[in-house]
Amino acid sequence: MELLFLALLLIILAFALGSGYPVAFALPGAAIITIALAAISGYLFAGGNVDAYFAQDGPNQWLSAGVTNLRGIYWEVERDTLIAIPLFIFMGIMLQRSKIAEDLLMTMAQLFGPVPGGLGISVVFVGALLAATTGIVGATVVAMGLISLPVMLRNNYSPSLATGTIAASGTLGQIIPPSIVLIILADQLASATDQASTARKVLYKASTGEISMPSEFDVSSTSAGEMFLGAFVPGLVLVALYMAYILIFALIRPKAAPAIKNEAGFDGAFIGQVLGTLVPPLTLIFLVLGSIISGIATVNQAGAIGASGALLMAGYRLKESGSTRYIPAFLAVVALIAIGLILAFFDNNIKSINTEHDQLGINLAIIAVAVLLLALLWSGIRVARIQNTLYEVMIETAKTTSLVFIILLGAAILTAAFRAFGGEELVRDYLNALPGGFWTKFIIVMAVIFILGFFLDFIEIAVVVVPIVAPILLADPSANITAVWLGVMIGLNIQTSFLTPPFGFALFYMRGVAPAAVKTVQMYKGVIAFIMLQITALGIVGYYPQLVNYLPKRLQLTAETAPPPRNPKLSHCVEQYVTEQFAVNGASLQTSIADTSALDFSMLPGKLAKSVEESFEHASNSIQLLADANQSADVVTEGSIDFRSLHEQMRDIRINTHNIDIEIEEEQSKLDLLDDDAAGRDGLQQHIEALNAERQAIEATTPENWEQARADFTELQLAERKQRIEYRKAADKGYQPIVELQSTLAATESLKALGGEFQMLRDMIENSDESVIDELAASSKRFGDVEGASAIKSDISKARKALRAKKPSKEKALDALASAEEEYQSEVQWREQAQASVGTQIAAYEQTIRPTIGVRQQSKLTREQALYVAACDADHRDISLNF
Amino acid sequence: MEIEHRPDSIAEFSADFKDQLSRYFSWGMLFFLIAYLTNNTLIHSQKWTGIKAFSTSITDWRLWVQVAIYASALILAWLLVKNKERSLRADAATITAINTYIVRSMFWAVFFIGLADMAISFLRVENLLPLVVDEQLAKDLGRPQFRGPMVHLPLLALGFVFGAFTRTLGFHWLALLIVLAELAIVITRFIFSYEQAFMGDLVRFWYAALFLFASAYTLLEEGHVRVDIFYSAMRKTRKGFVNSFGAVFFGIALCWTIIVIGLGGKLGIIYGPLANFEVSQSGFGMYTKYLMAGFLGVFAITMLLQFIAQFLESVADARQQPGGRTIATETAH
Repeated sequence: MELLFLALLLIILAFALGSGYPVAFALPGAAIITIALAAISGYLFAGGNVDAYFAQDGPNQWLSAGVTNLRGIYWEVERDTLIAIPLFIFMGIMLQRSKIAEDLLMTMAQLFGPVPGGLGISVVFVGALLAATTGIVGATVVAMGLISLPVMLRNNYSPSLATGTIAASGTLGQIIPPSIVLIILADQLASATDQASTARKVLYKASTGEISMPSEFDVSSTSAGEMFLGAFVPGLVLVALYMAYILIFALIRPKAAPAIKNEAGFDGAFIGQVLGTLVPPLTLIFLVLGSIISGIATVNQAGAIGASGALLMAGYRLKESGSTRYIPAFLAVVALIAIGLILAFFDNNIKSINTEHDQLGINLAIIAVAVLLLALLWSGIRVARIQNTLYEVMIETAKTTSLVFIILLGAAILTAAFRAFGGEELVRDYLNALPGGFWTKFIIVMAVIFILGFFLDFIEIAVVVVPIVAPILLADPSANITAVWLGVMIGLNIQTSFLTPPFGFALFYMRGVAPAAVKTVQMYKGVIAFIMLQITALGIVGYYPQLVNYLPKRLQLTAETAPPPRNPKLSHCVEQYVTEQFAVNGASLQTSIADTSALDFSMLPGKLAKSVEESFEHASNSIQLLADANQSADVVTEGSIDFRSLHEQMRDIRINTHNIDIEIEEEQSKLDLLDDDAAGRDGLQQHIEALNAERQAIEATTPENWEQARADFTELQLAERKQRIEYRKAADKGYQPIVELQSTLAATESLKALGGEFQMLRDMIENSDESVIDELAASSKRFGDVEGASAIKSDISKARKALRAKKPSKEKALDALASAEEEYQSEVQWREQAQASVGTQIAAYEQTIRPTIGVRQQSKLTREQALYVAACDADHRDISLNF
Repeated sequence: MEIEHRPDSIAEFSADFKDQLSRYFSWGMLFFLIAYLTNNTLIHSQKWTGIKAFSTSITDWRLWVQVAIYASALILAWLLVKNKERSLRADAATITAINTYIVRSMFWAVFFIGLADMAISFLRVENLLPLVVDEQLAKDLGRPQFRGPMVHLPLLALGFVFGAFTRTLGFHWLALLIVLAELAIVITRFIFSYEQAFMGDLVRFWYAALFLFASAYTLLEEGHVRVDIFYSAMRKTRKGFVNSFGAVFFGIALCWTIIVIGLGGKLGIIYGPLANFEVSQSGFGMYTKYLMAGFLGVFAITMLLQFIAQFLESVADARQQPGGRTIATETAH
């Protein structure tokens, strides 16, 4: 019954959207009407039970869930990234009103003109630049349509090519960061990742029987900053494709896209003009994207930087003349340079001003900030005065923000209704039942999004479709895709929705500004090629996920907060790195191990000597052990060829039986609720029996050799895993004692510096000085801080204990102190000896084995290692056979 | 864009039954909303049981007071519609004007409250509060139950006073304010290594207000996206039909859902946080989180009024009455 209401929901939704009522209210309206109808029908036809026609729960719960979701958009701290949206909109509209698009187009057209198809290429170039600053599709298309289209048509460009180029370049704003759709996708994917992670854990438990899933199999999450990074290269790929297409088109049909002679010539003034128009937007792009990409600022903070920068630029651009025109911008630049210098020379922290130097830094910074704020205020006043620009920018920002967010609110209620009638489950079951694994699912989802793009706008698709399908795609272990890759793929796909008739925003705006001589059909023809190019880009990024994954991974691994190399999620790639290093340096490593092991360590204390001497064997073994583990991995891969088809077959069987189990459970719970309705009970009982029979029939199709094959394969996997663990142990044991020895030796000087402690303490004890207890504690702490001096520390603690005992005993304390001193002397002695005879060799040896055998013990990867691991980890790895 | 006030040139306009019905529906809805909010306040503050007590204690006088409130709302609306014949568009303009006043007052309120609470939170987290006010007050200001009624509420009232004496739209300033508030974080964090929870709270507070309060104006200005495959080709009467239908069944339905779910019951999504003066987890942040729950109520109420105005305006369109606002389509998207 609930499926009937699900269908009704979709019909009402299609009707509501089709009627043309604002989407933001059609979405929740359709949901509320359907929920109300289901509740009323339940009341009338199911004996007063309003919950009857819902998949679970009732109208109250679902409406509450919907309104709670709706409030969650601004209520939950995890969704703070969305704050960046109004900031970037403000920046975009401010730049649009300050006419930098016009300046750029005029200059770039002159610059690129002499190249075949040059005008078209300049449009793409400017489109990309605007995308990285304003990102507002409508504004970009209108500006370019008004300025470039007439020029292109006058120069005999084919109307199709001209309009197609402009419309398509305008949409670049959706994929080139900072982009609003990427922020929304990141927000939607965050909760999708959580759901997917839960689903994968359930799957792991169901298929292996183990309770906890190793974290290396978990779904990787994403953030808006990562999405920006991930979309960066695909955006450039798209720009390159557009440009290449126009160039090739111009070369094949020179008449349709002629080169234009630059009459003014490239003189100094022109170069000045090019720099004058290019440098400010490029600086802003550099500031905004740079601060996000380098991980310095959050996306929200970058948004504020961008908005302020846009205000400054508008400040001088709107004032066409006058001697003071550039003063605010100049002041701001000076202030920024000053701040940069101040931060380089001073460690500014307003909460800890300890020295005069600190105070000077703060004072200088306050002056610089005051100048910067003055520049902003001055620009702000100008922008407010000239043509009332500030007011219009604020109003437009408020309206655009509202339009985006109210759709988000509306979709929150729609999603609740969709779940209420079991829609989510239906989609999941449908997608999971598809043959062919992940890629079939993925292609179908992408096709659906593409088709929806003909009718819906990007926000609607992002907020309605993504929450439903993303968890399913992310949970699938066979492709093990990253959330950021999925987000960028969806982003690229949604981009086509701007160009696909009948409901393509870019087309509307294009139609609005194009002269009547350009026919609508010509425009449609023009965009086809660009839609194809977008789909090509989709294919390229789909085939090479590294294009998306590499940059975020690289940033993550080179950041201050990078995960340590022993993090299980990294171990695969770290070991691959070590394997390669062994292949190149294995022989010299072995020599180094042999040479160092030949040294004399007899002066070391017994325990340390033993572990150091043994470490060489472990280090030497680890090279072989890793090779063995890799060999076993090859065996697993070989074994998986036959096993995979069987595994897939079995996975389908498991999914089917699992679904039946759920159905049986539901029927059973209904049965439990029915008390005295005999006919109803019988009916349910029969259904359950039928389901059980069906389940058995499905289970009977289990291939005969499944159990054996699985046992064999699991054994192979276990063998590999065991060898890896052995390798890791050997590597750890091969490296740790060396580090211990090295740091112990390095601490010799600080140990020697504590030589006077004993006499002082002895004197204090003998003089019954009252502060001796505290002094002993402090002293034992001082020794504790010295590497390898714990025995001395514990003796001093004993002395302290003796004094604090019920019957304080000076003698015992002095004894303990004496033994500490003895320990100290022998410690200093062997350390000095070892330092002299093996100190340098050990240090050199540690350096040699650190990047390979010792890598697991480092707190973070070196830069070179991080780049290797990022590249390795950027590819998607099939982990389905672990499930 | 200024709202074109349709002056009394249409005063001679003679209203027929359908017009009067639409007007009655609209004013009835508005008065009913006021009655609902009044009764709701009585239920929550005076522990009245509400009209659902019909099934249990029919003799309770309070039940009849509440019924009377609803009844008088509907009667008042009828009297208003009956005695003052006006065009649908004039009514729509009046309701829009009322709504503009509410939104403007709310803007002033969140502006004042944001600044005041930020200042208090700053003083408190830096332990400067006892230097400015006496010790007891400093302690009290650390309690949400004190800061709410003693600081926020008067400022809210002040907002309504300012709203009456100013003519700005108001909410659009929030766009600039969030840029400035976030820029303040950037400057203090990167240049002075200073960052506190209340700074982020201020951005959040104004940002939520921005899009929730701007929504009604966006509706008025045709800013909300439509799928206009068919819509753009429709005649004005047909558009009027779509919009009047949509305003009632999609818009007003949504608003009432939010109002009833948010305010009905102790744990309501709006009422719960408001009643407890809920604050964020960070402790030394601003004490305004509960007000953000209230924003949703403001959103629902202002949108309800705007939908009523849209309904009236659209019925006038559908019935081919003279006038009507023309709106320039914007390109910001």
